[in-house]
Amino acid sequence: MDRVHRLKSVLWTIIGIAAAVGMTRYIFGLGATTNLTDRVPWGLWIGFDVMGGVALAAGGFVVTAIYYIFRREELHPIVKPAVLTAFLGYLAVAFGLLFDLGLPWNIWHMIIFWNPHSPLFEVGWCVMLYLAVLLLEFSPVPLESFSAWAKIRSFLIKWKLVLVILGISLSTLHQSSLGSLFLLTPYKLHPFWYTPILPILFFISAVYLGLMMASWESLFTTHVYRREKETSLIAHLVGAARWVILLYVIVRFGDLFVRGQLGSLAEINYYTVMFGLEITIVAIVPFILTMIPKVRDSNPGQWFIASFGVFGVVFNRTVTGGLAHLVQDGASRYIPAWTEFIVSAGVVSFMAILFLFFVEHFKVWEQRAADPSVDPEKLPEFDKASNASIGTPLLAGWTKNSLIFISAAAVGLMFMSGKKVASQGIDSTPVSQARGCEVLMVDGNLDGYGVKFPHAEHITRIGSEPEKCTVCHHMNLPGDSQTECSNCHSEMYQSVDAFRHDWHASSDGANISCFKCHDKGKPKDVDSAVECSECHQDLIPAGATIKVDQYNAPGYVDALHIACIRCHETYIDTVANRKIDECSSCHKGAITPENKKFAEIVMTKVKAGKFQITPEIKKDRE
Amino acid sequence: MKHQPDGKTVAILTDVTKCIGCRDCVVACKQTYNLDKDVPRRWSNDDGLSSRNWTSIIERENNTFVRKQCRHCLEPACVAACPVGALQISDEGPVIYDSKKCMGCRYCMLVCPYGIPRYDWDLAVPFVRKCIMCFPRLQEGKQPACTEACPVEATIFGTRDELLAEAHRRIKAEPDKYINKVWGEDEIGGSRVLYISNVDLSFLTYGKNYDNKSVPSLARPAMNAVLPTFATMAGTMAGVGWIINRRMKNMQTDELEENQDNSSSAVSSDEGDSNNG
Repeated sequence: MDRVHRLKSVLWTIIGIAAAVGMTRYIFGLGATTNLTDRVPWGLWIGFDVMGGVALAAGGFVVTAIYYIFRREELHPIVKPAVLTAFLGYLAVAFGLLFDLGLPWNIWHMIIFWNPHSPLFEVGWCVMLYLAVLLLEFSPVPLESFSAWAKIRSFLIKWKLVLVILGISLSTLHQSSLGSLFLLTPYKLHPFWYTPILPILFFISAVYLGLMMASWESLFTTHVYRREKETSLIAHLVGAARWVILLYVIVRFGDLFVRGQLGSLAEINYYTVMFGLEITIVAIVPFILTMIPKVRDSNPGQWFIASFGVFGVVFNRTVTGGLAHLVQDGASRYIPAWTEFIVSAGVVSFMAILFLFFVEHFKVWEQRAADPSVDPEKLPEFDKASNASIGTPLLAGWTKNSLIFISAAAVGLMFMSGKKVASQGIDSTPVSQARGCEVLMVDGNLDGYGVKFPHAEHITRIGSEPEKCTVCHHMNLPGDSQTECSNCHSEMYQSVDAFRHDWHASSDGANISCFKCHDKGKPKDVDSAVECSECHQDLIPAGATIKVDQYNAPGYVDALHIACIRCHETYIDTVANRKIDECSSCHKGAITPENKKFAEIVMTKVKAGKFQITPEIKKDRE
Repeated sequence: MKHQPDGKTVAILTDVTKCIGCRDCVVACKQTYNLDKDVPRRWSNDDGLSSRNWTSIIERENNTFVRKQCRHCLEPACVAACPVGALQISDEGPVIYDSKKCMGCRYCMLVCPYGIPRYDWDLAVPFVRKCIMCFPRLQEGKQPACTEACPVEATIFGTRDELLAEAHRRIKAEPDKYINKVWGEDEIGGSRVLYISNVDLSFLTYGKNYDNKSVPSLARPAMNAVLPTFATMAGTMAGVGWIINRRMKNMQTDELEENQDNSSSAVSSDEGDSNNG
């Protein structure tokens, strides 16, 4: 029983951490606990929990079909566990959906709001119905222990064949419909996977997986409970499975050939590698191994074959569900967060605990799996250090597992990233090495407005050595990811001293006399002053039209925001070598009456608080 | 549902060559629906759309601005995908969303060929968000807020027939200015939001080769096969079960009579069938 106890400890640890993540997900939302994005709305929780869960439960309909319909009596020992696994598999799907759905309390909506055109509607209904069928199919096992229910039990056993046929038909539908789900994503799913016969491929691989899963489950439980190994039975199952997978491979490649995709398999890229990996795991390795009688009939060999088969199909579902989706240029690929992995593992672990509960308390196998903890002969246990009683072995087990669960949940909470939970703006990125993205979306001035930031371009300009990164990524305030753009590009935001009169007049500054600029005998104002370019020939090009009528001129950003489109359309991009801190690089040439009129209209609008292009402006522009 | 016929349905035509990129449409949209301030998030796409921005302006080369919004397809993938019918085509035409029905499966986001629907990833009670072509305003007899706000009439509102005619008229009048194509007229089943442009707009989709088949039509054969498959499978299983059962009963009586093993025939029929599932 040591193996059972060890297994339970591991399972409760996983469930504990998953519970912490689950709590966070319900309080702070999906963004806090997943790496899903607007581009990748479905991730691991659908790809593995739902797609994989349904596929893993395929053992139920395959085994019951072989046993009850084709009457292969030798399957008898694995029928009940297969039905139980199928039931738990679907329970896992429903359970996993409670985390993945945005509004999980509306999960029942499908019962009253109908859209029969939706493949997901069909999958949902089949899963609900099949879950009910499986419950009825399996309930005679636990009901055996309650004599009051004997009538109902015998009724269920009498109608078992009907339930089995119903179960097989429902399974056929939704196993294939899981494939139909992706018929609606012709532009996202890579052509290696997208095919009109997706439903058929999904169904064949589900049958294959059903056989593999039944074998794997037998191998696993006989190992954990040290039961007698069912080697010859498994050899039969995997033997049958290899012909199913052969059929699958023929159909799959036939389809690729018909659609003319076979040639593109020769290139080496992400998708061909994924495809090759998938076919190798799901088909080639198990097929070759099953063809060798020595391997097929040995326990370790069967472990290999069944594990490859099971993992292969689940991998296929995950790839179809997300990994093989095409990515737009510049977008990063979705990689599940650790929180997503742990919730998936938690759901599976919870189902495993339920499985162990059922086999220990009811006659799922010929012989109930005896847990020593419920053995009345066993004496109470004592803590080795304090010598305090920790109760009977059963109670001690509960205490221990509860402690494991709670500690694991605490550890899980500890590891939740506060930043991610808060979901505020762009998440910080590690600065160890520049990722070399072309363009990032950053809230450059921490004012809530995102701008496009050419990161790669900045690296080229500043340098890629680690110490150069600190030019932006070092002197930050707490919570910042980078120095504000305006720290360097100050000239874009600062208003400009158009003319520093004080400085020109001061003895600490230019120290020039009034009459150097202003004509004698006239009021000392703008009109009596000489042009700046009289002195500053190097700074202001000939023909510049700067007239200093105020000391302060708007900064570049403000100037452009006042009259943006006019400048954009007519002027700004035509200026070569424009310097944004030098007004005159644009403002040169004569002020035309049109320019002046336009500027006046714009300025009145700006002063009135609303800048709108009126028919007047429009006319003027034309 | 009593939908308007395709020609009479409401539509929006955006002339990319006219857009000056002032974003008044974005502002009008946000004001109409009281949409929150938007900050760049890990999950946002770089097209400017988010659960708080239902329309956006995308800057392209040479000072070209392209407004992105829900295309309100004639045969929308999202409406076909939604298992609870939370996304519907309204009688007036726009594709609208009923947050009371939604259960948050996000299948609509997965199937949209334009990648339009966005999600409230940061909220504990999240909804799917997208442009609804100002459905409430249409019912009041007004035009959408964005088309009303546009200062240069780069994006205009009307019936689909009118706007298609206008689009073709503009292209014909200035064939050098425009690419000879009305985006949204036919591809992927056609849409209610149309574009004419001087730049290629295939970036609005996934940049792939589109045909004129609508997305829902791709899944239709499989969906139509559902009930027949169910009946066939149930019938086959019942039939096969009955035959094998009968044969085994006969065999048992034979065995009792002749007392000899005769199970090989049952084995061979089994293997053939298990391959077919």
